[in-house]
Amino acid sequence: MRSQNRIHIMLNIVVCVKAVPDPKEACNIKIDPATKTLLRCDVPMVVNPLDKNAMEVALQLKEKTDVRITVLSMGPPEAGNIVKEGLALGADRGILLSDPAFGGADTFATAFTLAKGIEKIGHHDVILCGMASSDGSTEWVGPQIATFLKLPVVTMVKEIVKTDVPWWKVKASIDNGYRLMQVKLPAVFTVTREVNTPRTLSFSGIIKARKKEIEQWGIDDLGVSSESVGLKGSPTIVSQLKTTEGKREVEFIKGTRAEKAEFLVQKLIGTGLL
Amino acid sequence: MMAEQKNKVGPVWVIAEQIDCRLLSVSTQLIGQARKLADELNTSVEAVLLGDGIEGQIQELIAAGAKRVYLGNAPELAFYHPERYTEIIVNLAEGHKPEIILIGSTAMGRELAPQMAARLKTGLTAHCIDLVLDEDKNLEQHIPAYGGLLSIVCPKRRPQMATVASGVFTTPEPDETRTGEVIELLLPDIVYDRIETLQVVREEPKGVPLESADIVVAGGAGAGDLEGWHKIADLANCLNGALGATRPAVDEGWTELTTMIGQSGKMVSPQLYIGVGLSGEQQHLVGVVDAKVMVAINIDNRSPVFEQVDYGIVDDCREFLPVLIEKIKAYQERLVTC
Amino acid sequence: MIDFTFTEEQEMFRKAAREFAETKIAPRVAEMEETGEVSDAVVKAMGEAEMMAITIPEEYGGLGLGYTERLIAIEEVSRVSVAAAMMLQVFALGIEPIVKFGSEDLKKKYLPGLATGERLSTTAVTEATGGSDPSGIRSSYKKDGDDFILNGRKCFITNSHIADTVTVLAKDEDDPKAFCAFVLDKDMAGWKATHKEHKFGMRGCNTGELAFENCRIPASQMLGEEGKGLRVTMSAIGDVGRGGMVGVALGLQAACLEESIKFANERILYGKPIAALQTIQNKLADMKIDLEAGRLLGYRAAAMQDKGLRSSNEFAVAKYYTTEACQRAAKMAVDIHGGYGCMEEYAVSRYLRDAYVVGPSAGTSDIMKVIIGRWALS
Repeated sequence: MRSQNRIHIMLNIVVCVKAVPDPKEACNIKIDPATKTLLRCDVPMVVNPLDKNAMEVALQLKEKTDVRITVLSMGPPEAGNIVKEGLALGADRGILLSDPAFGGADTFATAFTLAKGIEKIGHHDVILCGMASSDGSTEWVGPQIATFLKLPVVTMVKEIVKTDVPWWKVKASIDNGYRLMQVKLPAVFTVTREVNTPRTLSFSGIIKARKKEIEQWGIDDLGVSSESVGLKGSPTIVSQLKTTEGKREVEFIKGTRAEKAEFLVQKLIGTGLL
Repeated sequence: MMAEQKNKVGPVWVIAEQIDCRLLSVSTQLIGQARKLADELNTSVEAVLLGDGIEGQIQELIAAGAKRVYLGNAPELAFYHPERYTEIIVNLAEGHKPEIILIGSTAMGRELAPQMAARLKTGLTAHCIDLVLDEDKNLEQHIPAYGGLLSIVCPKRRPQMATVASGVFTTPEPDETRTGEVIELLLPDIVYDRIETLQVVREEPKGVPLESADIVVAGGAGAGDLEGWHKIADLANCLNGALGATRPAVDEGWTELTTMIGQSGKMVSPQLYIGVGLSGEQQHLVGVVDAKVMVAINIDNRSPVFEQVDYGIVDDCREFLPVLIEKIKAYQERLVTC
Repeated sequence: MIDFTFTEEQEMFRKAAREFAETKIAPRVAEMEETGEVSDAVVKAMGEAEMMAITIPEEYGGLGLGYTERLIAIEEVSRVSVAAAMMLQVFALGIEPIVKFGSEDLKKKYLPGLATGERLSTTAVTEATGGSDPSGIRSSYKKDGDDFILNGRKCFITNSHIADTVTVLAKDEDDPKAFCAFVLDKDMAGWKATHKEHKFGMRGCNTGELAFENCRIPASQMLGEEGKGLRVTMSAIGDVGRGGMVGVALGLQAACLEESIKFANERILYGKPIAALQTIQNKLADMKIDLEAGRLLGYRAAAMQDKGLRSSNEFAVAKYYTTEACQRAAKMAVDIHGGYGCMEEYAVSRYLRDAYVVGPSAGTSDIMKVIIGRWALS
């Protein structure tokens, strides 16, 4: 009698999330001319919208196969509640990389720190991030994490076609179209908003998260030097802030609605553009 | 006789890009800007181009201002491959130590540039809207930020890297009399089996392309809802213009990301720009690189957009646009009948 | 210091409830307004979002959370739709008597279905002859072997036509001082929903009449002790019903204030937004004061309830205050909107109509005053 050896494949997924000022209140955010940093002015911090899409990819997979999700974020201690949200949505483990030494990091230092965090987490098959953050929008962190971990990366993933282990097939957006990529795990993927519709928090998920702890790792936990992270580890710095001056002087077109429309049309005819 | 020797600064590189053996305009635009930087730095401009059957593009690069072209010309380079391209260009950069590397903010550039920067352990700035040298001859990379303009520099590491979107810099006049040298790259004999492009599907862009449109109508959050958005689209249609959007409008799902004008979107230089229901946020208006006439329609007379335009109309766009469209159509009808 | 803050977990519950309300209920509001009918999609979504499971113990498939969490959920739902919040709050009125007074068998029979939303519930106490004064009801039961036969009619019952699990209060045919509470379900013959009301506000919440004609009820369906039924329904309506109204009112107050601020910042008169005018600021301040005060009263009562303390008086105060406040807030919101406030496309016109239906629900303000007066005098 032959016994069938069942190969148990568990996929380890790391989802990188970032706390950003709520994009819906973005117009209230200004730059402090003295420190050249953002004056948050009570704008609440939320999970970067595209990172929610990344988390949703992992959660949908978890519904189908054996998946272990770790949600990872680098930020001040207050950013802990977005890690908690990740746990409430269904992640199994939550890690916050937090240390004063990590502050002031540009994307290079951020990606380096996150990569060290992922190395410490251990076995990882898939790393997911939102394509860009609503407050920085460089799009660099995902690909740079891949470089530091020596992994392949696909950016702007808009559809996950196949999730066999170890080969994934994904569609990635390009200007005017897409490319169909075949990638061998472990790999990094950054996603666009088209990839799915993120689920909302559920009450029972929040209750289940009571048993899940957020681990907080600092510079000593990662075993890195202070020169390689934060402001010290950032190749780029902000040198200046200028306010922009308007070069045009506006002429308000006044009158009743019909009059305003008429005058505007006249102005446009006058410029030869109609 | 000892002449004062200045420290020789490495060249300014442009990583050019071709699709189907056609050079993207952003590449020549960057070479044009690179030349200005190189002149100030007393160095030269060099271009890197990878592809298959791309000999025809060499002259274009040189005519734009490249003194030297590194060419990777082989079947396996026909389409951008992240690992192959990164490996070749990084090796080249480590050997030749450029001072500056510029890359277009294309799908390829946005994936290739960060990987290169991480390998070269250097800084990279995204979606710059201007590049100048500061008094220490460092590259000042300008990006718009909440209400202002930020200058980013990478003072200690080299190369200094930046990505720039198409349309930020003007396409230089080609000078066919220019000469330059071509260096054919020896390609490493490495098998890349972790990532493969199975298929590339290109879709025709809908409507008038933003980058070349004479009239651009851009809408923002003030549209209120999809119905309001349709009115803005109607305005664009009746003017035969291109429809653009701000990020909030894209986030609401009223329009595609490809219509977004701004720092991380498209750059436009129309004759006429009409901004409807948008607040004139930096991130959006930097996408309007130049326009002959700018108009704004906004419900709030204190909106910052009115500081950036020639004509302003204070009104609820959902009520105003139908009236405006009617007047425009009436005028167009009169043109036809005369 | 007394801790007036919510826990991190409660803040997350609020976020979850808000996300649910904004994504699943908001798109249905227009349809509810127009038809006046309950939206099946909303009921289904509520079940999926575990809204009915909040106060059901975990061992019966519920979330086992407290009255504070319930108040948070109702507040957030009401901010988007008063009608949906009212429907939700009344589900709990049918659930509470079973949780508190039901036998183990009854709990196992009904609570799991009620938690998922497969079963929908309500409480039927009010009649033409007694609402605020339940001892005036005429529906009666008489014993017949091991069963009870129920006859009568109930009116102004929320969820009358959608509920399949109803807690009914009736009095002993022969003894006017004895009352019984029973759970009825659709497997029993002899009862049905009859007349449907058409309300000018809170549209999308179903209100109607129930009629019982020789309805045979097994004794196993009784809640609590025979003859002591008043106790069962009073504790349900008293604290849970009033507590729910507080949530409904607070959500509406918040919505009125938010819409008013938005409009006041956008409406330009004399070259400035009207938010710069002192008379408008006065109204906003009044709304803000009422909201702060209402929240403190409501959450204090809910906290007492969570601790197992008697809280009927505190809830009477909170119910009176917040339901009166939401009516004031709605009028002020409409006033701030000027002529626009009368137009149906503007949410505030709906808020005004909703507010005036919130007022008398679960006990009129006058009755609340009687209760509070008694408390003061005691």
